[in-house]
Parts: sequence; C-alpha cells; structure tokens
Amino acid sequence: MSLPGNRTRVLCKFFAHGACLKGEHCEFSHDWKDPANNVCTFYQKGACAYGSRCRYDHVKAGQRQASSSSSPYTYQYPDSDSVSVSVSSPVTGELSATSIPYTSGAWGEGSGQTPLDLLTLNDNGNPADIVMCSFAANGNCPRGETCPHLHGDVCPTCRKQCLHPFRPEEREEHKTGCERKHKHLEALKHSQEIECSVCLERVLSKATAAERKFGLLSECDHPFCISCIRNWRSSSPTSGMDVNSALRSCPICRKLSYFVIPSVIWYASKDEKQEIVDSYKARLRSIDCRHFDFGNGTCPFGTSCFYKHAYRDGRLEEVVLRHLGAEDGQTVIAKDIRLSDFLNRMRIR
Amino acid sequence: MVDFSRVQKELQECNRDINVSGISVNPKSDNLTNLIGTIPGPIGTPYEGGTFKIDINLPDGYPFEPPKMKFATKVWHPNISSQSGAICLDILKDQWSPALTLKTALLSIQALLSAPEPDDPQDAVVAQQYLKDYQTFASTARYWTESFAKISSLGVEEKVQKLVEMGFPEGLVRSTLEVVGGDENMALEKLCSA
Repeated sequence: MSLPGNRTRVLCKFFAHGACLKGEHCEFSHDWKDPANNVCTFYQKGACAYGSRCRYDHVKAGQRQASSSSSPYTYQYPDSDSVSVSVSSPVTGELSATSIPYTSGAWGEGSGQTPLDLLTLNDNGNPADIVMCSFAANGNCPRGETCPHLHGDVCPTCRKQCLHPFRPEEREEHKTGCERKHKHLEALKHSQEIECSVCLERVLSKATAAERKFGLLSECDHPFCISCIRNWRSSSPTSGMDVNSALRSCPICRKLSYFVIPSVIWYASKDEKQEIVDSYKARLRSIDCRHFDFGNGTCPFGTSCFYKHAYRDGRLEEVVLRHLGAEDGQTVIAKDIRLSDFLNRMRIR
Repeated sequence: MVDFSRVQKELQECNRDINVSGISVNPKSDNLTNLIGTIPGPIGTPYEGGTFKIDINLPDGYPFEPPKMKFATKVWHPNISSQSGAICLDILKDQWSPALTLKTALLSIQALLSAPEPDDPQDAVVAQQYLKDYQTFASTARYWTESFAKISSLGVEEKVQKLVEMGFPEGLVRSTLEVVGGDENMALEKLCSA
C-alpha cells in the first residue's frame, strides 16, 4: 500500500467529502486521480461492527494489493453476469445520467478507472448501499460533473437527481409520491381560476380558509363554493320553493343531487371526481354516526348513512331488510316501519 | 344580509354588454337594495320600440331568495298586472335559483313579453282578451307601449307647456314632473288622481 510522501499518494478522505481543512499542507493527496484508501481499519484488526453495511472496504490488505496491480479498485458484483461493471455495459442505461459526466470529466482515461469503479470504491458488496449526493438530490450540486458522489437518476416529475439507481423500492416510492404531489399542485393551479356561480367570486380567493373550498354536487359538474351551495340547500323553503325540485337541485342545471362533497381542489376528469368522492366517503365512514349513537339511537338515513354505524364493542350494525308488499306487486324495503313508508306507497299508486 | 359584492359584480357585468342586450340595471338609491332595470320591448311584438322600466327590490336573503320585481312602466300583458305591474313568472317565485342574476331574470321577463302564458294569467282581463280577441289585445298592447313605454323626446319646458295646456296650474305641473322624474305620462296620471 502506498504511503504519504510516496510518488503515488493516497486520496485524502476529507478532501473526497469536500471538507479537508489542511488544504495544500495535507499529507494526503488532493488529486482525484490518486486512489483512495478505503480499507476498513476495524476489519484489518479482525472485527468491524458495521459488518456488510460498512462504508469501507472489508478486504485484507495483502489481498487487495495483489488484485490491484492493473486496475486496483475495480469491484466485481456478486452476480457479475447480469450486472457487469464496465461503462459500456447495458447497466449503464440506468446509470447514464450519472456516468456520462464522469467519462468526459477530469478522470484520466488512461488511468484505468471507470466512473463506476470510483462510485463503488467504498462499497462492500451491495450497490444499494452507495450514498447519493444530497445536493444533487435536492436539485443542484455545486460540484456538478466533478462531484465524487453518486448522482441519482433524474425523476421525470420533479426533475431532481434523486432516484437511486440500485434501490428499486425507493425509486418507486419516490416516483409515485412525487407524481401525486405534482398532480395535486397542478389541480390546485387549475382550481384557482374557478368561480362560484352563486357569489361570482373565485372560490380559492375567498376571505377565510373555511370558505376556500368547493362544494361538489354528486350528479353534475357545476362549481360552487361550499358555503354558497350549503347555504342554498339548507335555506328554508320560503315562497313555496320545493325541496327536491329547487333546493336540492343544481342552481344551474337543476339536476337533483342528494349530497355535496367538500373539496379543496376542482377536478378535471370524472376519475378525479370519483377519487375525491371516494376519499370523502371513506373519511366519513371512519367517524361514528351521532344519530346511531352506538346503537342507542336511530339514524334517519339508515343504510344510506355515510357515517359509521357500529356498537360500542366494535360490531357493525347488521341490517335486516324488511320487505313490505304493496298491492300492485311492488315491494318496498323498510328497515323500521315508519309512517313515511305508507305515505311513499300512497304516492306510488 | 344582501351579498352586495355580488350585486356590484352583477351591475358591472350587466352594464358591460349593454349595447348587445339593451338591458341595464342601475341603483335607485345608494344602498343597492333598490334598483331600476330597463328592458327594450322585443322586436316583432306589440311591445317593440318601447323601453320598459322594472322596479327591483332585493330581499335580505338575496341571492338565496328571488329579487322582487315589478313593472314600473304600465304594460298590457296577460302575465303582468295592468294595475300594479306585478309579474307572474316562476323564476321570480318557486323556481328561483341563486345561479340566476338580475340580468338573466330581466332577460326572462323580456322573453315573457314575447311569449305570454295566457293559461297562467296575472291579469285575468288581459288574458281573456288575449284568448278571445287577439287583434284587440295586440292593438291595446301597442297603444300602451306607445303611450307609456316610449321615451319622450320632448324637453322639460315642452312637457310643462303640454300639461299646462291641458288645464293644470304651472307650479303644480312642475313639482309633479319633478316627483315622477320627468315622465309626462306618470305626471298626468298623478295630476288627474290628485
């Protein structure tokens, strides 16, 4: 192994991390062309607490020297058939974002070192353990092409180099999370322009946070702010306004909707609307219904109630459907016999 | 509480395309609950050429309650009272929707002028006439439009002169004209009933 002062010097560890305080007076090399000494000293002594996750190389010093005659730090992957380590090999398709700068950079082509060699210098067996450059992952690495750390692949959504080439789960997690965040922001941007048809104001520009919400109608796609549509639907039926034909219908198209869904964003497609409706219903289903009151009360909405109907012991309400046969052969399903059931029947006839 | 910011928006919106629709809404007083709307008589009807004024009163619940509208200009129409100017129109009653605006309501009234509903009358006499003797109805409506809905081209002095010639004292004529806002027909009516 080369020693400080020799013709081939060992790369300074601190310099490699970008933080050597000794500068020109450092006894270790500040030249990237020089090989780094990445041998784990604990391993040399016989025991390293980090085991296979150690960032330093677990090789015996003598062994290392023997294999390093031509290209000292080339690392062979355990499954070298599928993942070979040369720059021109197929795996670099995945690594292209990081590997291209290195080949054209300060790395001496004659030195026999490929970019990946250096990336894996401190690696002890699993490429997933390579630490990514956090500056690049956050959008901008000041060292750019000369950065010694692994620059991740570019995320197609956030355009940051934050996808680790060897951690597929993390990649997927980031991609889906990033996409969702991006979609939400986009939707929010589109929603800014939407005006409530009742107060004629932009819903997301209203004075209080509680008002900056849309009220989605289940059956049509006309935009209102939550306060306006709720106000209209709950206004007392004065001057003979009928609840079903006027109040519960859309103020614009007069289509009857039975419920209003609050939402901070306005949807662009049917699927997005369905997503909003489903998540709203799921949220309500986790809340105990105060009419049902753990079985002590009766909920007027019965089986159509959006809230949770569960007893104190966690058992869900079991619904026994009762069929009331009408004379004309039609059946009416009733949970409890109420006067309204008979009135409904009268209307049918 | 009336949503005044919405009313203000509506007024701006309405007066922006006044040249296209011919419909205008203006505040009567400065509190925006009393307004005056004007609609041109629809072309091809006995009301053509007239300009009809409509009194608008916004209730506290506006826009969740319909605005109260009645004709300030006398008009001969089955669904409009010839005496009070009351309008029989569903959207001003049980079919009101908060998505409707003063302008759309006035547009509906304009449409009502061109398509009367004699089966659901406000003024039974007019409706009878409309059904039984359309010619008389049309000529009466035209005459009423001529006499009440035409903006007089006469100046104030000429109006005063005209009324004085009819035998009213000049001082009373001037004060009455001032009260009714320069409308000689309304002034005449007032002078006659006084």
